[in-house]
Amino acid sequence: MNLAAVDWIFLIWYFILSIGIGVYYSGKAGKSISEYFVSGRSLPWWLLGTSMVATTFSSDTPLAVAGIVIKDGISGNWFWWTFMFGGSLTVFFFAHLWRRAAVLTEVEFIDIRYSGASARFLRGFKALYLGIPASCIIFGWVTLAMVKIIQIVFRTSGLQALGICILITIFYTALSGLWGVVATDMLLFAIAMLGAIVLSVASVEKVGGIKALLAAIQSISQQTGKNYLSVFPSLGQALPLAFFVALFVQWWAVYYPGAEPGGGGWVAQRMLAARNPKHAVSGTLWFNIAHYVIRPWPWIITALCAMVVFPELSAENAANVEAAYPRMLAILPKGIMGLMIASLFAAYMSTIESVLNLAGSYLLNDFYKPFLNKVATEKHYVLVSRLLVVFVAILGTGFSFILGSVKMGWALIMELSGGIGLVLLLRWYWWRINAWSEISAITASGLMAVYLKIFPDSILITSLSKKLQNLGFNVDPWAVNILLIVAFTTIVWIVVTFLTPPDSREKLLSFYKKVKPGGFWAPIAALNGKSYKLKVHPFLGWICGVLVILFFLLGIGEILFLRWAAGLLYLAGGTVSAIVLSKIIHKIDWEVQ
Amino acid sequence: MAKAKKEYLPMAVGFWGIGVPLLASVFLYCRTTAQKIAVFLCALVFLLIGTLIYRAKQ
Repeated sequence: MNLAAVDWIFLIWYFILSIGIGVYYSGKAGKSISEYFVSGRSLPWWLLGTSMVATTFSSDTPLAVAGIVIKDGISGNWFWWTFMFGGSLTVFFFAHLWRRAAVLTEVEFIDIRYSGASARFLRGFKALYLGIPASCIIFGWVTLAMVKIIQIVFRTSGLQALGICILITIFYTALSGLWGVVATDMLLFAIAMLGAIVLSVASVEKVGGIKALLAAIQSISQQTGKNYLSVFPSLGQALPLAFFVALFVQWWAVYYPGAEPGGGGWVAQRMLAARNPKHAVSGTLWFNIAHYVIRPWPWIITALCAMVVFPELSAENAANVEAAYPRMLAILPKGIMGLMIASLFAAYMSTIESVLNLAGSYLLNDFYKPFLNKVATEKHYVLVSRLLVVFVAILGTGFSFILGSVKMGWALIMELSGGIGLVLLLRWYWWRINAWSEISAITASGLMAVYLKIFPDSILITSLSKKLQNLGFNVDPWAVNILLIVAFTTIVWIVVTFLTPPDSREKLLSFYKKVKPGGFWAPIAALNGKSYKLKVHPFLGWICGVLVILFFLLGIGEILFLRWAAGLLYLAGGTVSAIVLSKIIHKIDWEVQ
Repeated sequence: MAKAKKEYLPMAVGFWGIGVPLLASVFLYCRTTAQKIAVFLCALVFLLIGTLIYRAKQ
């Protein structure tokens, strides 16, 4: 497709604005590593929450969601919608604790919670694992998605355009630290959403309006025997195992970027950068609402339209299905096309800038500083941070050539980290968890994932699949793998925890005093002379948070499909839940409780 | 307060910087009524968010 002069002007203007905002904050970021990685802990809720959702909204996300809709229908989205349970849990049980912990990175948490050589090993290991391979996988898969988009849009290999985009992002990310990242995220998220909305409107027009779209999709559903419009999966003769695994296991067990059990990665980084615990809670709540309620419907609508415009899509392979979304760009008029392409660049840049800053924080704060160079000036550390950001960017670019598809990246991360979630949740609320619990969970999870990849027909998989089939499940290999990884990992870490000694009383007491976690801390609370209890409000808040997200998500969908009565009913339910939620948030003293 | 506002100013300028050309594109490039309404509303949202950010409390 050919871009008009006005499209190029808009694209260039977009890059100028992004660089300008990033560069503006470079002076502030250069003062110290606290400014560089957690913005001096001064972020308001709306800025940190929007930055979280901008980071999670990447160029691969609309492609992957469109792919899911074309392959499995709207209900396929439960693959990621179920993370809302974990998201709401993070808001009410962990966001304020992260802020109270006042560490610089998620990995530094290990230093304040665990003691001994095992803690030092774990900190160094996680810094390297999250800083290099995990960051490179994320960088690789979002870059792969961007390459696909550029190939379709510009009809070239796209390497030059992508190279320019990466260079610009590295330039201002390395320079401006988290301040530049969150400030550009704010604009990038808005532009990315703008593009998605405009494309969905143009797509619906192209197929003749919503009624025509619904009729066409119903006709496709009749031909293929799949109900593409149903929000819930069919619970007919065979129960979909993948749906049940996502609903009951995935959200608490799997460490997935942006949806880590109890918060982690860039979500934790922004909670740590909040002004105070209440801002951390409100920002994380806003992130979850924006992530699940505001983002998905424009992509879903565009994907459904793509099925009508390109009828051959449903029979194609995964990689081609993922390309459906950018193929729809061809229907946009000139002037709007530039905006749309800018929106895809925005989605891409908002993710990689955060990944790079975060990777730099792990490598600097949790590896370079404690292990290689303990005593240096803040200026030196900021300089090394900038170099590390560039280093990870180069590695990540290389990794994008290895990945096969966007969904492969998602699945790879999930399987490698399946089962470690429960340790990450309990380490805040149970004194007995120690560094060995985490080490054993990570090791068991990784080993099992590799074993299942090497031996996909092993007796473990075949026997469990058979048993599940006999129970009436429609077995999905990915879901079986996750079940096996979670079960094995959980057994291993529980056994290891009880076989190894607890952390030193001094360390646990210091953590308890600082974070005031509540839960199962009786021996430490006795030492402290004062105990912190978990009250009922966070539990109510968790449930209300899920209801708000669920009702508004479903309500908007129903309204878009012109099912007014159901839509308004859902929206009314969402409004009531939101009022209750607001009261709960104001009732809790986030500094203490 | 003047100093505080400066901290968020680049973000506000970014939003206005997208909102204004969007508004222009409603009249120059949008072909259909639906496109015009969608882009016009988006432009308004950008201008409004820019203003809210500019006026945000520190």
